[in-house]
Amino acid sequence: MDLMLYPIVLPIAVGLLCLAMPRRVKGIVERTALIVSITIFGLTVFLFSQKPLHWMWDANRFLRLDNLSGFVLLAVGLFGFLIVLYSIVFMRDKIYSNIYYAYLLCTIGIASGIVLANDLVLLAVFWGLSGLTLYLMIGIAGAGASAAAKKALVIVGGADSLMILGIAIVWFLMGSFTIDRISLPVVGLLPVIAFLCLAIAAFAKVGAMPFHSWIPETAEKSSIAVTAFLPASLDKLLGIYLLARITMDLFIMDKTLGLLLMIVGSLTIVAAVMMALVQNDLKRLLGYLVVAGAGYMVLGLGTGTPAGIAGGLFYLLNSAIWTACLFLSAGAVEDRANTTDLERLGGWGPVMPITFVVCLVSGLAISGIPPFNGFVSKWMIYQGLIELGRGGDGLWFVWLVAAMFGSALTLACIIRLIHATFLGQVARMPDEVRDANSEVSPSMWLPMIVLAGLCVVFGVFAYAVPLKHLIIPAVPGVSYLGFWSPGLATLLIVVGVLAGVVIYFVGRASNVKESEAFIGGELLREGMRVSGVDFYRTIRDFGLFGNAYKGAERSLFDIYDLGGRFLFYFVQGLRRIHSGILPTYLSWMLVGFTVLLFVFMG
Amino acid sequence: MNVIPLFVAIPLAAAFFIPMVSQKFRWVPDLLGNLTAFALLVMAVSVIGKKDVYIMGGWAPPIGINLVLDGLSVLMLITISLVGFTATLFSIRYMEQYTSKLRYYSLFLLMMGGMNGVALSGDMFNIFVFLEIASVASYALVGFGCEHEELEASFKYLVLGSVASTLILLGVAVIYGSLGSLNMAHVSRLIVEQGMNKALYFSLTLLVMGFSLKAALVPFHAWLPDAHPSAPAPISAMLSGVLIKVLGVYALLRISFNVFGMSPLLANILIWLGTISMVVGGLLALGQWDYKRLLAYSSISQVGYVVLAVGIGGAVVSRGDSMTVAGLAIGGGLFHLINHAAFKSLLFLSSGAIVYSTGTRDLRKMGGLKDRMPLTSGAANIGAFSISGIPPFNGFWSKLVIIIAAVQARYYWLALTAVLISVITLAYYLKLQRHAFFGPASENNRDVREVPLSMCIPMVLLAVLCVGMGLLLLPGPRAEILQPAVDALTMGMKYATVILGR
Repeated sequence: MDLMLYPIVLPIAVGLLCLAMPRRVKGIVERTALIVSITIFGLTVFLFSQKPLHWMWDANRFLRLDNLSGFVLLAVGLFGFLIVLYSIVFMRDKIYSNIYYAYLLCTIGIASGIVLANDLVLLAVFWGLSGLTLYLMIGIAGAGASAAAKKALVIVGGADSLMILGIAIVWFLMGSFTIDRISLPVVGLLPVIAFLCLAIAAFAKVGAMPFHSWIPETAEKSSIAVTAFLPASLDKLLGIYLLARITMDLFIMDKTLGLLLMIVGSLTIVAAVMMALVQNDLKRLLGYLVVAGAGYMVLGLGTGTPAGIAGGLFYLLNSAIWTACLFLSAGAVEDRANTTDLERLGGWGPVMPITFVVCLVSGLAISGIPPFNGFVSKWMIYQGLIELGRGGDGLWFVWLVAAMFGSALTLACIIRLIHATFLGQVARMPDEVRDANSEVSPSMWLPMIVLAGLCVVFGVFAYAVPLKHLIIPAVPGVSYLGFWSPGLATLLIVVGVLAGVVIYFVGRASNVKESEAFIGGELLREGMRVSGVDFYRTIRDFGLFGNAYKGAERSLFDIYDLGGRFLFYFVQGLRRIHSGILPTYLSWMLVGFTVLLFVFMG
Repeated sequence: MNVIPLFVAIPLAAAFFIPMVSQKFRWVPDLLGNLTAFALLVMAVSVIGKKDVYIMGGWAPPIGINLVLDGLSVLMLITISLVGFTATLFSIRYMEQYTSKLRYYSLFLLMMGGMNGVALSGDMFNIFVFLEIASVASYALVGFGCEHEELEASFKYLVLGSVASTLILLGVAVIYGSLGSLNMAHVSRLIVEQGMNKALYFSLTLLVMGFSLKAALVPFHAWLPDAHPSAPAPISAMLSGVLIKVLGVYALLRISFNVFGMSPLLANILIWLGTISMVVGGLLALGQWDYKRLLAYSSISQVGYVVLAVGIGGAVVSRGDSMTVAGLAIGGGLFHLINHAAFKSLLFLSSGAIVYSTGTRDLRKMGGLKDRMPLTSGAANIGAFSISGIPPFNGFWSKLVIIIAAVQARYYWLALTAVLISVITLAYYLKLQRHAFFGPASENNRDVREVPLSMCIPMVLLAVLCVGMGLLLLPGPRAEILQPAVDALTMGMKYATVILGR
């Protein structure tokens, strides 16, 4: 068997095997899952070093590993391994863990299949399968998550059907299913429809608006390990991979469609961040940040400029890293505090130092603070937009403002999140937690540290490591407008921080006045607590924003609910005429007969 | 000895024999019913890939009566006997709740014999006769519980069904009046020689309407949402799984492709009927809270898919375009037909299992059955995934083929409609899953237990089929099963030459 088949077949086969295992052998299943995921990770590294590869069957090139699929495959392997490692402890007390590992392994195999597929039908099959495992994995969290699971599959699976339509049109026009043989100019109605169908499949997967609404719901209701793995990292990788594939390989883009992508991207960024600003649940807040991240990538790819595309892809890799990291640290907090309600969290920083630092690093990364990776990738997307502006696009400034605005608001969200969870006044903690050393176990913090470490490494050594080996080979013709020297900047930042520390201690030696903490001019009394949840509540008082938020609460921007309401109208009408009265039914027959008679005889 | 007449003779003989057996041995009807169904299944499998014409009593057509076994009939026979066998197996325990198993099996086998007869018959009048046998048996079976609701549904079904049967008979009579023959091959040849006239168009109208009613195509569907849910579960499985397809879709396709010949007009009618059924059935299913009623409306929608796909194939045939595209569309439609037989009967059997255990059909009163009834819920979930077109289950493949064929035939809007309805299908089946199996457990269901093994086996069997039937698209099995059926339709009016041999 060809080596390229292993990352697909092996995890799926082992996963199906795990599904059949009885509950008693949980330990074995856990270990098997860990071993398989390490193997797959190693294999993806090896395959990456061997690229380009392809696998033929019956004179058709079915699987292909090129520069673009190479780094996505690598990321799939890495995230699969880290999530399994994290789950070993996180999922220990949950009875469904056998099924969970089975689905997890299958998902890894299916994701590898999507990335490697060079045949559109094969791609559609794996795409559908990934929707199925998404549904099953969300549903694992129990009855409470079943509504979220249903919503996710209706949106993702529905988009999958559209994808089939797109593929059918591509086949009709090009006579081939083989991706690397197809190059379709997006001119005329049919190619545009085909492009939109495939793009919608990608949008639904990554949660670009208006197909975003399943992500916050999933984040809130389902298990955190699942959210960190699927919507936060894997689905992002796959969706943006598809979008990159169709914009760079399958179709020859034109300006209008790029404009469409940029509109979708900017809207997603701004709206999702605005929503994140007012969330009171840690997981739901992160869910909206995940959606906002999707916006950046779509925006980057939509520019159509090499720098923008490379920025979008780099952002993809980075966002998978930091959102997974944020979710895993949220999971660590939930594991200890048994809640993710920001109102009831607070003061966890000193108790869980590792989680706090990790969360802070990834939080700063997502907000685009140098020297972390978020800054570099956003910087590249901005460059792409500026390049677009030089090329004569009049609207580049709008996109740039949207992207920067989103970045600033993300920082605001993160500050609120960090404050409400780790800083601020100490909330009531479970007794056994307060005294003991409450950091989570190594198998949980290890993946978090690896991811946070990647945030730093990919930022400081951005050009030397990830861009050079992973991103730039995938995007032909990248040139830098402004070169950002992360090494020097890091040095300066470190020097600056050190200087600050020195000044602090020197200044402290002289006269500093300390007083009790007070809020609004009043001293805090015993039992009074300010959680910091209401930081940005005043934003609701602005007329325009206030109405938008009210609309969002009534889910006016949720395509799932809107679609439901719209259809309900027809359904009610149809049900009303199905009265169950026999003469009515007979008269329908008569009408039908008359019409048929008229058609045939007329 | 020729096996073809046995497909009709065995079930009819068994149907009359079973009531004569003494009531003392209660297991006798179960045994006989299941044995007969199993024998039919074995026979159906044994004729795969065969083509034959059986001439009754040595009287050559067009004077005598002939039975025709071709690819399409074989496909139908397999479907009938497969669903029939799982349904009888399921009935062993399920029908304990009802009074007379003797009558039940007798009616059941009558219905099977009638359907086999329709699938095999080579002349118009016999199609009518067998259709009536199957229909009358099904009227009785729908009302088998003799409760208020069941009798009402049965009565409606009887009235509407009889109207259709009468119209079909009238259509047959008009054919005889204008051509002097009822043998389908002969009629087909005469139509090629003489061309269509007003009387024949009138007859075609009558037949299309009659068979559309049997196939429950909108606007002739009104009986189905009452009849299918009211019948006992194995009967619902038979009705939705095969009856509407054999009496309705099969007969409709046979007369339109092989007897009257495909014309653009007829193809358009099929496409319209199919599309409207697909949309209306899907929307109505979305609003249902009754497990079986939801399945019933979904049947209307899915049969719409089948007719739409075959209609597209017919349009391509009639305008003389590429036969590959026509074959793709017809093949997709027929593939969806057998897939639907598998998953819809599976879903109806699962509804029976749930009613057996919880005593309710209301989705709102179920919930949390995933843990209480693991086998039933596993099988039903596979059925629901299949019908919503999720890979790797069989529904995905037929959906894929139908959409690709629709685009190839340049029916872009129909392809889009089919896609949108498949999203709606997904939505209502996920609703069903959520409320019946995954959602919060209801108070009433605390003591619910899994159904007995003999009821689980048929469901598991059908679930395995749902997983595996995608393999039928592989070149080997396709050449054995699907392709002969497609060829039987695409050869169109050459049917006459093949059957009459001249």
